[in-house]
Amino acid sequence: MKPFWTTFRYTFIRFRGQILGWGLGIASLGLILVPFYDIFMDQQEDFMKMLDGYPPEFLAFFGGDKTSMLTPEGYLGMYGFSMLPVIIGIFAVLAGSGLLVGDEERGRLDLILSHPVGRSSFFFGRAFAFIGATIAVLLIAWLGFSVLLGGSTMGVTWGQMALPFLPLLMQALIYGTLALLLSMLLPSRNMAAMLSALVMVASYFISSMASLNESLATISQIFPYAYYQGAEAMTNLNMTWLFGLLGVCLVMVMLAWWRFLRRDIRLSGEGSLRFWFSSPLRRKKVESV
Amino acid sequence: MKIQRNASIEAAQNYEVALDVSGLTKSYGKVQALRGINLQVQRGEIFGFLGPNGAGKTTTIRCLLDTIRPDGGTTRIMGLDPQEDPVGVQTRVGYLPGEMQFYDNFSAERQLRFFSDMRGSHADWSYARQLAERLVLDLKIPIKSLSKGNKQKVGVIQALMHRPQLLLLDEPTSGLDPLMQQEVLALLREANTAGTTVFFSSHIMSEAEHVAQRVAIIRTGEIVEVAETSSLTQRALHRLTIRFKQPVNGSRLEQLPGVEILSRPDDCSVVLQAAGDMEMLVRALGNFPVLDLETTRPTLEDVFLAYYKQ
Repeated sequence: MKPFWTTFRYTFIRFRGQILGWGLGIASLGLILVPFYDIFMDQQEDFMKMLDGYPPEFLAFFGGDKTSMLTPEGYLGMYGFSMLPVIIGIFAVLAGSGLLVGDEERGRLDLILSHPVGRSSFFFGRAFAFIGATIAVLLIAWLGFSVLLGGSTMGVTWGQMALPFLPLLMQALIYGTLALLLSMLLPSRNMAAMLSALVMVASYFISSMASLNESLATISQIFPYAYYQGAEAMTNLNMTWLFGLLGVCLVMVMLAWWRFLRRDIRLSGEGSLRFWFSSPLRRKKVESV
Repeated sequence: MKIQRNASIEAAQNYEVALDVSGLTKSYGKVQALRGINLQVQRGEIFGFLGPNGAGKTTTIRCLLDTIRPDGGTTRIMGLDPQEDPVGVQTRVGYLPGEMQFYDNFSAERQLRFFSDMRGSHADWSYARQLAERLVLDLKIPIKSLSKGNKQKVGVIQALMHRPQLLLLDEPTSGLDPLMQQEVLALLREANTAGTTVFFSSHIMSEAEHVAQRVAIIRTGEIVEVAETSSLTQRALHRLTIRFKQPVNGSRLEQLPGVEILSRPDDCSVVLQAAGDMEMLVRALGNFPVLDLETTRPTLEDVFLAYYKQ
């Protein structure tokens, strides 16, 4: 267990800057949104007039309508939680894709893994550090969303405010573990990050637009964002979606682990790994090097 | 499982062959890096692994440490299979890679503490400080401020500081100035005296010649020679400069087996190269009016180049 904890400790410490940066960034959004709710409610009529000017599709895209916006969950969902999966997703994609391959591409992994750590301990030490860092980011964010609740007329408790962060955590883990898995399969970290980010953005837009266009409803079901509740989780947390996404994360982590155990570790300057299905033209180019 | 583990521990304690490689092959795509390497290093030896860049030295070492997986063949490190028991092997081995990258924001000391922690804090920290003193390395300096040579020193310390049973070193003096090169080679000799087996790769022949008891020469993924350093240099090419009392026709000398005339500075002298045994040449010279004969002992470099010319 010692190599696991050593890896976990060092990796988690290395995440500290990102934890603070992303955590405080999202927390500051909460610090603005919660007090603004009272202003929003005080000037409800003006805001309603303003919203009347918007096409209903605009509100539907963000998962709300005019009446639902007057509830705390509708308001928080519209202005905060609908976008947070993309924001925390960027952190998750960057962290997940670089979790192992970052050090490998910089030429550090070869020396680290020549120490008696064991690939499994190392992999899970890093994977759990990533999960821990994501939880830490969301904890700071939750504090930012909760600390001013006492002075607000929202009527939401700290415990209720914690609930939307659970689906948010799952979204972060889904994109992070997807990036981790892709970094084990694709030739470079950049490609893994790019593809994961593509899935994340596509997921966000397709699922959001599914509420406007019924033909997208079916396809949106294959994307993680379709199973994201946002602020709605405050009143009705969907545990099936939560554990379903957790299961998908576990499968991706296990596949990444399986691949990590079997692959060669690259040296600094060796460049990208090659696709196993790389074209003959590309192979020829590599051979001539 | 426990029985297997105990058997591994026993194997690692009662080994005579520190490193045993048989039929090791490794390809990167269609490029065959290793074409059936066979190698044995005895316990307590200093063994040089020689070859130019791209010959397969690093690939061999990385297969031994299980950071890359061979396509075929078997490897045993102190009786342990690196693929079956990588942690067992890595616990007993100190490794110095050819290309080293550290965490730039760490100081040298923090980086070494990190490696020590990765070994379960089994490093001898007072020895590490002693090594740093001998290598004139300030451990407080951040890695990003260190020169290539000083980073190499950090690498040397991390390889030695837990007093491993086997050192696997990939070009250990790379980037060091001549004084530090000598110091590192001295450290290797001292470690060897204390019982550590040393296996190091190099393309600098002189350092292998000074330190290694045996060497292997690798060429395009194949071992072309394994021999004691001294016998290798003795049996190799000799260079002779012969001066005669009067002008002679040296072409008769060239007809002798293994003899090649390199140059004729003037009619009374000849520079030639003789391979292997010189008995026939010396006898033949008895028929010439020899004034002076000078022979140069071949360096390992000459031997190495001879293999690469083949």
